[in-house]
Amino acid sequence: MEINLSQTLSDSLDPAVEALALEMTGITKRYGSFTAVDGVDLSVRPNTVLGLVGENGAGKSTILSIINGTNRPDSGTMEIAGSVVGYGHPLEAAEHGVATVFQEQGLIPSLPVYENMFLGREKRFIHHGILRRRSMIAEAAKVLRDLGVDIDPTQATQNLSFGQRQLVEIGKAFATTAAHDAHPIILLDEPTSALSAVETELLFDNVRRWRDRATFVLVSHRLSDLQALCDDVAVLRDGSLIAQLPIADTTDDQLHELMVGRKRDVEYYKEADQRDTLGPVVLDVAGLSSAGRFREVNFQLRQGEIVGLAGVLGSGKSDLARAVAGIQKTDQGSIEIAGAPLRNGSISHAIRQGIQYVPAERTAEGVILSHSVEKNLTLTLLDKLTYRSTSILNLRGGRAMTQRWIARLRIKAPGPDVPIGRLSGGNQQKVVFARCLEREPSILVLDDPCRGLDVGAKEELYELVRSFAESGGSVILVSDNLPEIIGLSNTILVMRSGAITASLKSPASAKPDERDIVKEMV
Amino acid sequence: MTNATLERTTLDISETLRKNSTLVYPFVSVFAIIAYFTITSPQFLTFDNATNIGRQAAVLLLVALAGTVVILIGSIDLSVGANVTLSGLVTAAAVDRVGLLGAIVVGVLAGAAIGFTNGVIYTGLKVPSFLVTLGTMSVCAGVAGHLSGGSAIVYSSTALPGFVNSKSVLGIPNVIFIVLAVAALLTAVSFRTKFGRYLYAIGGGEPVAVLSGINLRRYKVLAFVLGGALCGLGGVILTGQVQAGSPSAGDALLLDSIAAVVMGGTALSGGLGGAHRTVLGVVVIALLSNGMDLTGVNNFTQEIVKGLVVVASVALTIDRSRYSFIK
Repeated sequence: MEINLSQTLSDSLDPAVEALALEMTGITKRYGSFTAVDGVDLSVRPNTVLGLVGENGAGKSTILSIINGTNRPDSGTMEIAGSVVGYGHPLEAAEHGVATVFQEQGLIPSLPVYENMFLGREKRFIHHGILRRRSMIAEAAKVLRDLGVDIDPTQATQNLSFGQRQLVEIGKAFATTAAHDAHPIILLDEPTSALSAVETELLFDNVRRWRDRATFVLVSHRLSDLQALCDDVAVLRDGSLIAQLPIADTTDDQLHELMVGRKRDVEYYKEADQRDTLGPVVLDVAGLSSAGRFREVNFQLRQGEIVGLAGVLGSGKSDLARAVAGIQKTDQGSIEIAGAPLRNGSISHAIRQGIQYVPAERTAEGVILSHSVEKNLTLTLLDKLTYRSTSILNLRGGRAMTQRWIARLRIKAPGPDVPIGRLSGGNQQKVVFARCLEREPSILVLDDPCRGLDVGAKEELYELVRSFAESGGSVILVSDNLPEIIGLSNTILVMRSGAITASLKSPASAKPDERDIVKEMV
Repeated sequence: MTNATLERTTLDISETLRKNSTLVYPFVSVFAIIAYFTITSPQFLTFDNATNIGRQAAVLLLVALAGTVVILIGSIDLSVGANVTLSGLVTAAAVDRVGLLGAIVVGVLAGAAIGFTNGVIYTGLKVPSFLVTLGTMSVCAGVAGHLSGGSAIVYSSTALPGFVNSKSVLGIPNVIFIVLAVAALLTAVSFRTKFGRYLYAIGGGEPVAVLSGINLRRYKVLAFVLGGALCGLGGVILTGQVQAGSPSAGDALLLDSIAAVVMGGTALSGGLGGAHRTVLGVVVIALLSNGMDLTGVNNFTQEIVKGLVVVASVALTIDRSRYSFIK
């Protein structure tokens, strides 16, 4: 296979070949003060598969959304087949042959396959105001047959497997671009994340076969996908393109290093403050399973310890954290806090036992954006603010509590009464932390607490986590950011497909290497 | 004033207006309506007419408050009008047997029971509140028909009408004090109790409320029970006002109450607004109805005007950023 790949490469490297399928020059996209993509130059040769890799937040999705027209770059130019394009509307991308196969599938389950394939593009099947169903079906069947896909186009989409639906989406992409007579550029956004090994192999076989008819851009977390399928690979880090090179010239280790790149900053993660001596076991998870999420999980958390949970999306790390916090029900096994079992799936019991949870989706699960800073901060603490056993609130107490935390965590807010939505993400997250810390919990469960925050806010939160552990608290830290996990944790548990695959010690004096962790993740 | 500061001032004003649009529009409407009808009708701006408006709006306020409590948690109760009808009939049937105080208790309990039923079906069977209450609306109307045999239930007690209609202070009917006290109490409950805060939290962000360990089901049922009890009280007062139990008297309140809630600035998506805002919405509706009555506007025309006012007020005040699709 390797020989085969380099063969293709040298063929297409021939200077006589046609223009690039896609070329981006100096593409930059900002969201407020955050630069998602910074001056990216990307080129995709026709009839090849380009792999786009990088950590979460590296800018992969933004690049895809610029190619398919759902986002407009702030600066830079994009050329398709040698001519500059600037979309006025996402639909125009299709005229240039660009089609996206989304991670979350873009098909309507209740419609038959053929209707999904031509959704929004039924016009050419309409004669005298009547939609000609039969010619639609025939056309859909032809597209699928040409692609070598064996799916009956009259089937209801919901009866197909995930893998089959994905093939329908790709068929839809071909049908759409064919209608515009353009060379198809098909964007595959993490296509294998929900596929079984067999389905993945089938998809890859198909993509290899279709390569002579189309150009592909593939986003994937799995390095094995890239090795199996791509001709070139482009590595993004923090919004910049770090490297673009033929995959044959790289090794796994090199890719890992390119993806992660930055040096771990000892200071940033307050590693000097990391505790070496830990207290007794405070949390004991034994044989914990939850169907389809994780299985047979065993681990212990000691007083003052920070346990990091690493793993790719869908590895079960967030589900495990939610189970400990009482949000996710489990099927088997037990969670014990200081020797007493935790009630299965009871959030309020977990809270009473001293567990506080910070969700990953801050704006959906952490704070109510339209409500004030004070209402958000005190929401979980109202029982501390009522008079005796009544429901009546001590408003002055609530105000004092809010102001105390605003001062203590240096929360930048115009006042306790402004809607929290007007605060920066970092300050919103500090409110969530304040709410948790006011409870004086023994265990903090943090699900990617610094997602999408800027460097300064992260550092302040790291300091909070560190001082919480130092004062005898224990932490379960889920994160997509490996340096963060390595920097903060005493112990790192790596999860893959719902199981813990490795447990690594991470003392301040001998932090493990990122590549060793990634190896266990993928 | 230089051009630049003038520009900044107008910017500030428009910014303030935009931010407080849900509060500004009802106030502006109130003043516009008062001004218009004062000019067109000499009786409009008089003490007698003001108490008249208060009397007419009393039951509407209770029903609108009931709607507000449920809308605050992001649900809706379409059975409020039918609840008033049925509770009112129950009150009329009971008052001669159990006396004034007993009748009030019976009426309020009847309303609360209907609310409890709504809440339990909604949370227990996880049926959208819109559909549950659409069903109970019909059921209540049917039960009311059976109970009354299609005609008014006349009672002989004079205590109930006396209690509702007499003017013990300053020549203002008791009923106005009662409903304003209820509105004030409910406003206090929304801001000064855990229960009130939880209602806002559930409507503002249900997932946040869940993760906070709030017993969602309990508070949702409680909201429906409270709404039902308010409708029950509405039924009691209506029965006192018309001195009989009517088989359909409450039905027309549904549209007016939702209109009042929304015009007051309580978002249908939940979590924003509240009882104090609904008072304002009810004032707008009541002034509008009364003014149109006084100026001899045709009943059918009134319905058209009110319908248009509802749609226009929602269009002006709805927070579109909270919906990805408007259904």
